[in-house]
Amino acid sequence: MATATANRPRRRLTLGRGAAYLGAWAYALMLLLPLYYLVISSFKDNAEIFADPLLPNGSLSLDKFGTAVRDARLDLALLNSAAVTLCALVLVLVLAVPASYALARAKGRTAAVVERIFSLGFLVPTFAALVPTFLLAAETGLFYTRTFVVLFLPATSLPLAVVLLTQFMRTVPDEVEEAARMDGAGNWTILLRIYLPMVVPGIVTVLILSFLAFWNEYLYSLVIIGPDQSQRTLQVAVPTLRSTLSTDFGVLSAGTVFTLLPVYVVYALLQRRMEGALMGGAVKV
Amino acid sequence: MATTTMSASPAPPAPPPKAPRRGAARRGPRTTVMALPALIWYTVFMIGPIGAIFVISVLDWPGMLARVGFAGLDNYRAVLGDQLFWDATRNSAVQLAVAVPTMVAAAFMLGYFLSTKPRGHRVLRVVVFTPALISASAKAMIFWGMFAPNGMLNKVLAGVGLGSLQHAWIADTGTAFGCVIAVDIWAGIGYTATLYAARLDALPDSVHEAAELDGAGHWRRMWRIAFPMVRDYVGVTVMLQFLWTLFTSAQNVLLLTQGGPGNSSTNLSFLVYQKAFVQSDLGYSQAAGVLLFCLGLAGMLLIRRAFRPAY
Repeated sequence: MATATANRPRRRLTLGRGAAYLGAWAYALMLLLPLYYLVISSFKDNAEIFADPLLPNGSLSLDKFGTAVRDARLDLALLNSAAVTLCALVLVLVLAVPASYALARAKGRTAAVVERIFSLGFLVPTFAALVPTFLLAAETGLFYTRTFVVLFLPATSLPLAVVLLTQFMRTVPDEVEEAARMDGAGNWTILLRIYLPMVVPGIVTVLILSFLAFWNEYLYSLVIIGPDQSQRTLQVAVPTLRSTLSTDFGVLSAGTVFTLLPVYVVYALLQRRMEGALMGGAVKV
Repeated sequence: MATTTMSASPAPPAPPPKAPRRGAARRGPRTTVMALPALIWYTVFMIGPIGAIFVISVLDWPGMLARVGFAGLDNYRAVLGDQLFWDATRNSAVQLAVAVPTMVAAAFMLGYFLSTKPRGHRVLRVVVFTPALISASAKAMIFWGMFAPNGMLNKVLAGVGLGSLQHAWIADTGTAFGCVIAVDIWAGIGYTATLYAARLDALPDSVHEAAELDGAGHWRRMWRIAFPMVRDYVGVTVMLQFLWTLFTSAQNVLLLTQGGPGNSSTNLSFLVYQKAFVQSDLGYSQAAGVLLFCLGLAGMLLIRRAFRPAY
């Protein structure tokens, strides 16, 4: 048996393993059940939801989606979310790529300190820092606009982006760069022509994690962009479908599904890379 | 959700060893200036606000448009003499004590199970990854519907003959904060388990083989062989979950309960928010913010120490 290790032998189902199977699938069921409830509810009226919470009503009518989009102007919110996410992603790369190049090449103490400061970004107390950030937005006159959030969000992603890309850029051998310098290439040419193509996996990781963070951001968008329908993002718009007296749960569910769809589309396209990105993002602290 | 092509062992981008470097003499033109824009950005939006928390905490600032005066330590006295602050601290402590250990222990067991590649593990991995995709506001909307008086939870309880357990879950002082914590755990297990599974996948195969030949059972293999090998990584995730729970998870409070009923679900982060944006007492809010920040820092250092390599 010791020699047959190339293919792992099928394990016997012991008590411990049986319990693990049970626990894992019970948790999977607990994850899927709310999502199933959400999706089937988005085709139903309140009466149907309350009467048969777990059975689909067989209808595929998109009425609830239509109502959700009209009531909360989710069409505008979708465009706002897309614009905010895209602009912030571009800005992250524009800021982080040159900075990582500089930090990866620098050998001094200053660079080490700067890198350390970036790596401590997870220590920002989100709720407490909201107050000064709000005051900054008010002071600069960018309060109640998407613009401030577009400028702000990249900063939240910089710790991850700078630390990760610096690690990747360190792996580019000096010799490659020296050869290019002999040919008279400047810093920017070297960065764009030599470094950038070699750190594409790192950039993909940064883009995926930042996309999830920016698209899903709620708190700062809520407080700083505010309730204006022409400015607010999807995450802020959908909770307004609730009402204290009589919420239409079908419409609320449809609106929630609407915000989840873009993320699941990206996931379907980039599934393998996404899991890798999640892993890569939590490696270095 | 139909696709199950997820790679069995996603290659984590482990940082390769540093390439050997030449002396500083061969260094090209200075590039340090290229780091400036990012540094300025980071200073304005991240470091600046943290500094400002400390400054505002000693100011008398009763409202966004009100005149600002100097308060010295008055805000701190007000915070520390306020029963609400201590209630919020207790809630945060309960939340940390329940959510972080549950999440980490369950996630490690699940992650280890996934890394042994049991039957159906590809489907399981896709399902377990799901919570990482869902935003705080979507999560809250999903559970707002589930916990509603006529929502799924009550209907299912009635259906299985436990009708007496029916509840206005998030409108009841006794259960509101529990619901908030449950949503965190629900999502946190999946996210963290994905990280552990990927980390354990990256261990050399010989480890798993040796463990199997060892003849130890599932439980022993998991805690005695696999766990020590990724202990430092578990430490990192414990620290991140701790800080996230303390600093950020109040989004669920904001979306689900608004701190109520009464103040039963107000934790420290939500108190900071509520004092600033509902009661317009910026000095109090930021003094509590400073205490919150110090608590996070102290907790982080403690966790680091606890998970420091034993050798």
